[in-house]
Amino acid sequence: MTNVLLKGIEKRFGSVEVIRGVDLQIDDGEFVVFVGPSGCGKSTLLRLISGLEHISAGDILIGDRLVNEVQPAQRGVAMVFQSYALYPHLTVRDNMGFGLKVRKMPADERQKRVAEAAATLKLDTLLDRYPRELSGGQRQRVAIGRAIVGHPDVFLFDEPLSNLDAELRVHMRSEIAALHKRLATTMIYVTHDQIEAMTLADKIVVLRDGRVEQVGSPRTLYENPANIFVAQFIGSPKMNVLPADAAPLLAALPATLSPAESVGVRPEHLMVVKPGEGILRGKVTLAEYTGAVTLLHVALADGHTCLAIYDKQEMPEVGAEIGLKADARDLHFFDSHGQATKLRSN
Amino acid sequence: MEAWLFVSPSAVGFLIFFLGPLCAVVYFSMTEWNLLTQQAAFVGLANFEDALLENPDFWHVVRNSVIFALGLVPLNMALALTLALALSRPFFGVVFFRTVFFAPVVTSAIAWAIVWKFLLQGEGGFINQMLAIVGISGPNWLREPNWAMAAVIVTRVIKMVGLNMILYIAALQAIPRDYEAAARLEGASRWQIFRMIIWPLLAPTTLIIMVITTIGSFKVFDHIYQMTGGGPENGTLVLAFYIYQQGFKFFNIGYASALAMIMFVIVMMLTIVQVMLRRKGAE
Amino acid sequence: MTQRQTQILYRTCWTIALLIVAIPFMFPFVWMVSAGFKSTTEIFGAPTLIPRVWRWQNFIEVFTYQPFARQYFNSLYIAILVTVLTLIISSLAGYALARMRFAGAGLLMLFLISALMVPEEVTIIPNFFLIRSMGLVDTHWPLILLPTFGPQGVMATFLMRQYFLALPKELEDAGKMDGLSRFGVWWRIALPMSRPALAAVAIITFLSSWNLFLEPLIFLSSLEMFTLPLALSNFNDSYGLPLWNLQLAATTLAVVPILIVYLIAQRQIIESFALSGVKG
Repeated sequence: MTNVLLKGIEKRFGSVEVIRGVDLQIDDGEFVVFVGPSGCGKSTLLRLISGLEHISAGDILIGDRLVNEVQPAQRGVAMVFQSYALYPHLTVRDNMGFGLKVRKMPADERQKRVAEAAATLKLDTLLDRYPRELSGGQRQRVAIGRAIVGHPDVFLFDEPLSNLDAELRVHMRSEIAALHKRLATTMIYVTHDQIEAMTLADKIVVLRDGRVEQVGSPRTLYENPANIFVAQFIGSPKMNVLPADAAPLLAALPATLSPAESVGVRPEHLMVVKPGEGILRGKVTLAEYTGAVTLLHVALADGHTCLAIYDKQEMPEVGAEIGLKADARDLHFFDSHGQATKLRSN
Repeated sequence: MEAWLFVSPSAVGFLIFFLGPLCAVVYFSMTEWNLLTQQAAFVGLANFEDALLENPDFWHVVRNSVIFALGLVPLNMALALTLALALSRPFFGVVFFRTVFFAPVVTSAIAWAIVWKFLLQGEGGFINQMLAIVGISGPNWLREPNWAMAAVIVTRVIKMVGLNMILYIAALQAIPRDYEAAARLEGASRWQIFRMIIWPLLAPTTLIIMVITTIGSFKVFDHIYQMTGGGPENGTLVLAFYIYQQGFKFFNIGYASALAMIMFVIVMMLTIVQVMLRRKGAE
Repeated sequence: MTQRQTQILYRTCWTIALLIVAIPFMFPFVWMVSAGFKSTTEIFGAPTLIPRVWRWQNFIEVFTYQPFARQYFNSLYIAILVTVLTLIISSLAGYALARMRFAGAGLLMLFLISALMVPEEVTIIPNFFLIRSMGLVDTHWPLILLPTFGPQGVMATFLMRQYFLALPKELEDAGKMDGLSRFGVWWRIALPMSRPALAAVAIITFLSSWNLFLEPLIFLSSLEMFTLPLALSNFNDSYGLPLWNLQLAATTLAVVPILIVYLIAQRQIIESFALSGVKG
């Protein structure tokens, strides 16, 4: 059982507060993704869990053991770095075996473990190469292999795919997902890419300015974002947020608008109709054809711009007047603080 | 053609004041000079024979130079690396310490030697006065050959160690921090991280610093001139000083030129080693 | 003990160790200044950090014992002249070696590389005869010409070449498109972009000229022509024994201004030496 528990975690670098009180429960075998814009503290939080950075306040428990004062190496965690951190003067074999060697594991046992991991990751033929002789994807796999050989209780990934090109990133993403399925070990994964977060996570933790904005499954975050920030961070293209009085124009609403100040609707939930049919009208200012769908930029009468995904064949021309409507279920309401809210029923 | 306008000032000066003299010293080394008539007579390799086979001073000087290098280079490098390891990461006071350890590098060797000669006097010297307080009767440092050599080596190391420290700091800072973080996570101790990660990654820098420092040790002249004048009993007479002494004190132009040639060959060999190491490091 | 406490203890131990190591680096300067203000009797008495009697007289006698002001000025003007000359010559040659193709470039590079490490002691004897035949003994010319064109100048040329090579070529191409000549590109584009390298060359060249000793020792004989290091080593009585208080007062005058400039610009100066990489 390796759950991870964070209680009131704070971290200051000098006078700069990077993590401002994080509470989080991570269950055994869960794949948790920390996501957020750069500078939100997600990598710092990971390094606090690893022990590479020391917490300023709070408690960290790994497998029900308080590890605040436990050395990184004794926490039972392994980390895959963004830069991979493969030692350039050691071969793949020695890189993967390094941790076992400094822990004084007998050589034959070490070889067995390395061979095992190499087989899992299809690195068998590369064991005697040096990191500089490997491609980006291969280095990535060695970095993962190095983490695997120690049989850690928790895997930590710090933006592991950000140095790969787009195609390889998609491929490695699926390999990491498969790895998690096979090992069923707790994994904590940091990324700034919300697609990576959505596809990999059992549970996503959205961070901003050192605080947790929302924790939940990808579906929860998409369907019930807790606030405007999460609503706009998850999902691509990002959610349109309009003044609340636009809502009755989009759909028939059963309730008064109070206390909602704004309404959010995702581009993929906006239906494009003839100008007469929807009451919310706008003018197409730009139509971006991407193949499967077209992304319409629509200027509304009140000066707001919103995005709509249009998946029919005939394209509205730029400058054409169109109407927009949506399903009442797909509207998200936010109060004056940007928090999600329900409309009061009459 | 235009390019030669750019390089000509440099090239002409180089030809006159470096390449020409370098060729001349080859010729000089095979001559015997008559001081009265200022005429040079060709004597072939006699000067080299004199140095290598007959003159006991030469081997004494070589011995001194080797002792000087063997004392200076390891001490300098070990201290430089230790200081660099301590100062390569930001912490309170790091700028102060770097500034202090580098200060002697910008100071003139003569000034440095004057002050140390003053501190190291046999009677009334500050070092011995301090030693007397703890009950040690210090030697007359610069008047006893072995102590003089040790004193010159140590004061030279203090003078120049800052330079190697800076080179080591630059090399250490070029090593990604993640290597150390990864090793720590895998359970390596500070010593293991140094021994198994940092030290191998520093190897190219170490080799180059070693060659540069060794060549530098053969060039030391002003420091020894001021501190010991090559004495006592020729105990600190090293090659650079010997050349000066033979050439400009005793006017043995031919013999001094042969010595210069020998120095040239030693330095060239070390330089070739360095270039080869750099090539290997660049691969 | 918590990790934090261990870390603080560890840091404290290191800092104390570093402070102890720092003593022989700092103390000579302190003692130099202190002794520069002492009388001969106090110098050889029990050691005192603060002189019992401040003998300002020393700093006057320094100037009457030998023409110290003149010698100070010699060092300063020679160092400035060598620095300016080296900057011009090395940046011109360095630019050509970095950016132009010409017959003999490879050969020139080879010669320069081999010159980089050759100690001045190797060529000093023929250079002495060369300078003598030019009638320039006991003038400042050898102190200007030999460093500018010798290993020091070659080092500067290399430093400039390396820096020019690393500059983006597009900017110079843009300059050419705008109708600049080669010389114009060098002067208006390459040089302004090379300030860090020029500063490094200036700092290292100035210091090495300021501290130059072998050439002054060999070529200069009259006191008015002496430069500082030679003058410093010359504060001896008629038996050849050092006049410690005068010598240390003079050394203080020579060293302290440089140290002050160093303390102000330590970052820049240390970086310059790191950039040059090969020296000492």
